[in-house]
Amino acid sequence: MSYEKLFDATVCTESAKAWRASGKKAVGTVCCHVPYEIIYAAGVLPVRLRATGCVDSSDAESWMSSFSCSYARSILQYLMNGTYELDGLIQTDGCMMPTRIFDNWEHVSKKQGKDQFCYQIGAPRITKDITIKYYKNELQGLADALSKLSGTAVTDAGLKAAVEKYNEIRELVAQLNELRKAEKPVVSGAEALAIMIKFGDYTPDEYIALLKEFLADAKNRKPIEGRARLMVIGSALDNPDYLKVIEEKGGLIVAEDNCFGERNFGEKIVVDDNDVLGSIASYYLGRNTCPRSLDNRPAIHKEIIEKAKAYGVQGIIYAKMQNCECWGGEAYYLEPALKEVGIPMLQVEREEQMANAGQLAIRAEAFVEMLDK
Amino acid sequence: MAEIEKVDYWRWTESNWRNPEIADVTGCLLTAGVDIGSTSTQAVVLADGVPFVYSNMRTGNNSPDSAINAMNWALKDTGLKTEDIEYTIGTGYGRVNVPFSNKNVTEITCHARGANYIYGPTIRTILDMGGQDCKAIHCDEKGAVTSFMMNDKCAAGTGRGMEVIANLLAVRVEDIGELSFKVDEEPDPVSSTCVIFAKSEATKLMREGWTKEKVLAAYCHAMALRVVRLLERNGMEPDFAITGGIAKNMGVVKRIERIMNVKALEPTMDTQIAGAVGAALIAKDLVEKKRAKA
Repeated sequence: MSYEKLFDATVCTESAKAWRASGKKAVGTVCCHVPYEIIYAAGVLPVRLRATGCVDSSDAESWMSSFSCSYARSILQYLMNGTYELDGLIQTDGCMMPTRIFDNWEHVSKKQGKDQFCYQIGAPRITKDITIKYYKNELQGLADALSKLSGTAVTDAGLKAAVEKYNEIRELVAQLNELRKAEKPVVSGAEALAIMIKFGDYTPDEYIALLKEFLADAKNRKPIEGRARLMVIGSALDNPDYLKVIEEKGGLIVAEDNCFGERNFGEKIVVDDNDVLGSIASYYLGRNTCPRSLDNRPAIHKEIIEKAKAYGVQGIIYAKMQNCECWGGEAYYLEPALKEVGIPMLQVEREEQMANAGQLAIRAEAFVEMLDK
Repeated sequence: MAEIEKVDYWRWTESNWRNPEIADVTGCLLTAGVDIGSTSTQAVVLADGVPFVYSNMRTGNNSPDSAINAMNWALKDTGLKTEDIEYTIGTGYGRVNVPFSNKNVTEITCHARGANYIYGPTIRTILDMGGQDCKAIHCDEKGAVTSFMMNDKCAAGTGRGMEVIANLLAVRVEDIGELSFKVDEEPDPVSSTCVIFAKSEATKLMREGWTKEKVLAAYCHAMALRVVRLLERNGMEPDFAITGGIAKNMGVVKRIERIMNVKALEPTMDTQIAGAVGAALIAKDLVEKKRAKA
């Protein structure tokens, strides 16, 4: 079964290579506020960058302090060491760390003699008409720059076709996550995350085909039992092995809330034919993807609680990346909200490199024991 | 040339104990808990849920051997063998390496259960200060964990950190608490973020002419502050008690009490065996459950 390759979390750039070999461009993206549809409508392949498996970020540490986010540093490492050979990098000012990836890559790529399309979008931290308008202008700027890069104009028709394509992915990912609501799901948390992060390794068509194949075969998979149903939330998490450590200790991760899981996909985009780009702007800025925004904390908490209830979650693991500015202090607000609805929360700190598997294991095991009375 | 006597100041006293009130365990349900920590190992045997024997010794470099040695020492002169124990639970960081265990349970769960036994059902907050980590645990009236928090990544604020300071200052680890009060005024704490930083800071203070007592006071103060943050974060609800080796160090215990304005309950038995006692009690529950089902 070819869908088995969805479980191999190693970064695979074969599709991007083939895409580029055909004369087209492929660019890396960081942050959920970069709309894939605009890039794809320009005939460019968006590659959601991840740092899964990065065990040494010492090259990047020459440019980014060891007190920076290790996820961001590891992305820079993968750009610097050629794990990703792409035509550029698009990101937003989602938090300060991606902007440091951007600054440093812009500089280092020049030093390496690479011709890179580096583009940054301003994504406002408040969602209202005026900021959506600003963001739409930013997206228009991106569309224009991409058109120049690829030679393919970004048109409304192109955008609508791209929305349709990515909506299909959203629908299939929703079906994948629906499987996890079952009392004994046929997919573990580590497997589900692996499938979702592979989104960045394939073209949309390839990914859709693999997802369909997996979903068609899902009923033949063995149901999984766990001692406690868990949800993992927090900073960017692109490493299924991290979830595996928790699941090996008896936890069954049935849901997650981070920017490589379901949040990367979300609901379908509904397009207004009179303002296609505006629809995309409203959608991407209006989603409660992370606490970077100033006005979405109650909404994020509400979504987490609703999701926990829908998936029968017994406990939440709040996994915060060290030096993460978005999720750094969120626990102080979230914990009381969870207490109110009787959902215990375990806080753990992590880094991109899996240096603390043992520490995670003991905490996860004790948490499972606590829930499995 | 005369040989210089080498003293390991960090070496704390190992011990074993037998309950003088239990002469014969024939017909009793024997369950055991073996807690292999990073620094110390304890074996506790319960007879019908009452502590019968225990041992408390340093963990060697081989966890299975540590478990065997601790159990053999606990059972010494009882006429019992490991095989006579109906159910054994391994706990602690070496819990998977207890060769004769039936099951393993984390030390967090076991310490809560053990503290409930040692201090009584009113206990709600437990601070376990172990060899290489410390944990703030909240539990219910049955000793079941309701929340917990562990320190991250550093031995500062743990028993091993205290041993390092004992060796550095050439003071027996068991004397640190008492000596740390022999100061006119409480000094500012040393660095509490890293045991290596604390060590180099202590060295610097000694060079500046601080007395050993003052440095120890600064170190105990730092350790107390560090664990207080953990307690505050997890929530402090009386009754409160401390388990683990550092619970025997009054220099740290009294400072925690002062900073938090709370009195820790007095232990009725060795605070280091809380985890193993908890494990043995869980073992007893499991056997009884199994018997009830049969």
